[in-house]
Amino acid sequence: MELKTNKLTKRFGDITAVNSVSLSMTGGVYGLLGENGAGKTTLMRMLCTLMSPTEGSITLEGRDIFKMDSDYRSLLGYLPQDFGFYPEFTVKDYLMYISSVKGLRPAVAAKRVKGLIHATGLSKVAYRKMKKLSGGMKRRAGIAQAMLNDPKILILDEPTAGLDPNERIRFRNLISEISGNRTVLLSTHIVSDVEYIANEILLMKNGSIIQKGSSEALIASMPQRVWKCSVEKSFVPDLAARYRVSNIRSEKNLAEMRVLSAEMPVPGAVETEPVLEDVFLYYFGEKAGDEDALI
Amino acid sequence: MKMLLFEIKKILSRPLSRFVLLALAAVLVFCTFMTVNDVRYTDSQGVTHTGPGAARQLHDQMSQWSGYVTSDLLARVVTENNRINSTPQALSSDVTENNKAYSLTQGFSDIREYINQAFSGQTDYDYYRIDSVSPQEAGQIYERRISNMEEYLNSSEAGRMSAPQKDFLLSQYKALETPLYYEPAIGWNALLDSAYMPTLIMITVLITGFLVSGIFSGEFQMKSDAILFSSRLGRSRAVLSKIAAGLITTTAVYWAAVLLFSAAVLILLGAGGGGCAIQTGFGYWESFYNITFIQEFLITVLGGYVGTLFIAGASMAVSALSRSTVLAVTVPFILVALPFFIGRIDLLAPVTGLFPDQLLQISAITDDISLVYQVGGIVTGSIPLLFIIYGILFLALMPVLYRIYSRAEIR
Repeated sequence: MELKTNKLTKRFGDITAVNSVSLSMTGGVYGLLGENGAGKTTLMRMLCTLMSPTEGSITLEGRDIFKMDSDYRSLLGYLPQDFGFYPEFTVKDYLMYISSVKGLRPAVAAKRVKGLIHATGLSKVAYRKMKKLSGGMKRRAGIAQAMLNDPKILILDEPTAGLDPNERIRFRNLISEISGNRTVLLSTHIVSDVEYIANEILLMKNGSIIQKGSSEALIASMPQRVWKCSVEKSFVPDLAARYRVSNIRSEKNLAEMRVLSAEMPVPGAVETEPVLEDVFLYYFGEKAGDEDALI
Repeated sequence: MKMLLFEIKKILSRPLSRFVLLALAAVLVFCTFMTVNDVRYTDSQGVTHTGPGAARQLHDQMSQWSGYVTSDLLARVVTENNRINSTPQALSSDVTENNKAYSLTQGFSDIREYINQAFSGQTDYDYYRIDSVSPQEAGQIYERRISNMEEYLNSSEAGRMSAPQKDFLLSQYKALETPLYYEPAIGWNALLDSAYMPTLIMITVLITGFLVSGIFSGEFQMKSDAILFSSRLGRSRAVLSKIAAGLITTTAVYWAAVLLFSAAVLILLGAGGGGCAIQTGFGYWESFYNITFIQEFLITVLGGYVGTLFIAGASMAVSALSRSTVLAVTVPFILVALPFFIGRIDLLAPVTGLFPDQLLQISAITDDISLVYQVGGIVTGSIPLLFIIYGILFLALMPVLYRIYSRAEIR
């Protein structure tokens, strides 16, 4: 099942949020990596028919998804970044309601809801009101609702936002388990969310897909190398101004820095294996002193 | 069906919804209490009583004058009135003594009013006019009713009316079946003539408007819109469920309030006299609607329902279009209150007779002879027009509402 975008563009007035994106997804987990404001949510909303494109098209097996209408949406599961719910509904009520909106028959819905409550670890809170759930539990309820109709296309927008590390690991494992023969598109700005589970990673910047490939391919294609170097703390600002720095660790008078550079940045620097986070830094990172840089 | 039940649950599970329903219940009890206790009876000792007991005593006295309001009956009323007026109690300067005399007139007080109204003229009223009417003249009340209308229509006060409108009024007056049949209709009069029925209906409208105002906008405010609209039935059956939930809630709340109020009043004050013409009731002598109390009651509650449906529908439409519950909740307030301000402008006064708030107070406009409209070659009172206009507008609004919401985009 091929979900394809063809020169997909979305403009809001003078702002181009998504700029001529052409993608093809045919099953597996796709990680959409980008900074805040890159256009990830806008792209996902168009994929969920929540907004229509300014230009271009989105097709599933060659059929325009907007013309497919409810037929397309019956294959879709979506967890938005801002996951809203009905505060006075219990978890079970909420999932049963969403089941009805997804067109599941009551008997099927009851079975699916029961199974998903168990699979997402919400059994103990099934009769608790949604407003009384912790952030992690709400997210799990969000995953559960996205899975109710056993979707062939699962779109998750920043699903781990606000989760603690344990919850994020649990979530990653859950995605891996359920990805099966679906197309899962998962957007995040946290590299570790997709590093180990995505078959293909799409890097999005300023509305465009600037790179795509597997984690290994992206790492291999990065033109810069990664260096570990220990320098005196007084040299840190100078290095930070000249290179992209992915990590600084202070130790007494020294600072251990992880730096991206094509050449050895300082004498004694040791080249080290790049990871996906370095790739993220290469494409999206800032040097100190850059406009909008944090240091 | 499940979707519909969940939509209703969404409406009723809001803590504020439960609060306003409780408030409505309190208003209902208040209106019932006030309506029932508006009925007064003065006993032979000159002491005034109110409530169901008073209604029973009043009914017993009035029943003695039941029957067709013929010349003979009218002559008897005038004679009896004159006799009581000349008693020492009536002539006394002591209020209690006067009340004793008054208590003797309660039995024929309704019929007394027909004579007062008929002999006062179309636009005037004199409570003591009967004192100068002879028993022989009293039988002319029906002819006088018509001649009063003729005189009014020929005066400058009716200058705004067209000839067809004038003909319509006159023909309605002539079509009234006479002699009228009189039976005490204390319960119906209390229900329809008091200010509490329209007040209850208006408050019910405001409360149903509040309940339904968040049906559509709430999804945007709670940020549950994205999941809703990306679901298979989110842009079709779910929207229909929301509309249905709004209408069912409106219907249930309206009819519960109105029927409970009506049942309580009629049980406590009596339901007799419902088949009598409304012209036999206090304040309806000049009405051009030739209907009975029961018919007026039905028109009043059905009109209130149509008005409530329209206003709730408008609130839901604003909720869907503006995505704002606050804006949607103001719609009933605006539609109910606006005519009060616009009506002060002379030029716009005739238009306010066709505003939706009129449907909420039909019992109050039944006797208003200025509310006659001409549409092409057809002349009619405002009440049938109101039903038609707002019935059609409501039916037209529903598909528009569906279309607005089912095509919503999330930015």
